Amino acid sequence: MSENNKFRSRRDLLKAGAAAVVPLIVPTAVAAFGEQAPITANGGTDPYPIPWLDKNGSHNQPARPDLEPSHIYHFKGLVARCSTFTGMGTDNKGNRIAFGSPTTDYGVMHGDYWAGRTTQNGSFTHI
Amino acid sequence: MFQGQVVPANQIHDFHPPISPSGLYWTVPVPERGLTISPDGKTFTLDMHDIAVVDQPHWPALDAIATPARMSFKMVWKSTGEPLKIEDASKHFRFTGTRADCQMEAEVAVPAIGFSWKSDPLETSTCAFAIIGDEVNGRYYDS
Repeated sequence: MSENNKFRSRRDLLKAGAAAVVPLIVPTAVAAFGEQAPITANGGTDPYPIPWLDKNGSHNQPARPDLEPSHIYHFKGLVARCSTFTGMGTDNKGNRIAFGSPTTDYGVMHGDYWAGRTTQNGSFTHI
Repeated sequence: MFQGQVVPANQIHDFHPPISPSGLYWTVPVPERGLTISPDGKTFTLDMHDIAVVDQPHWPALDAIATPARMSFKMVWKSTGEPLKIEDASKHFRFTGTRADCQMEAEVAVPAIGFSWKSDPLETSTCAFAIIGDEVNGRYYDS
């Protein structure tokens, strides 16, 4: 047997071995994925946070007349923002307890936003 | 929520949704009919019921314990008509709207510690800063 034949022979042996294993693998793969619904892998429909807020170490920012009102990115729509509430309330033991501070801020966003590689529509509130 | 003077040392409760894995900060979906906008666009009413939140009195400390809680609130923004525009091209956002007045009423419950609280009626609250309007940002900024 020539060197070439020896090599081919070894390769043929590997091929034959692989072919013998395939029937064992395929049913396992089918069992693992066969019942799973087809997926698009386009990402979820949750809105993106505001990316440049990364510099703060979080995607949060206060409400101010010089800052962006929305808390979601790739957004167009209606927005409302507010902060610095003051008010009072009563707990279940009858204690009067104040609420609100300069960092008590809320917001709402309603309209189109981009997620999952397409335009979504919805409303979100920042609490 | 504060016991006594409104200073950080007196904060006894702080309610907010958890931060999402994507980093989306204290932001949750509003159910259908949760947000009402008047036909003239000058009044927004946000009515949220039984939202899953956490009570994290020592936030922003990293080791602040978060106890599961529920929260309901109603918030009403009313435009004052005073125009306001905020734009930063480097950050790809533009807001065009007006200043507003805003008031809220709320209820919270922390079952694990047997605590609940209800605010006085909406009309008794005040808010120092509020705005309503239109915003575009990100991929919609240049369109």
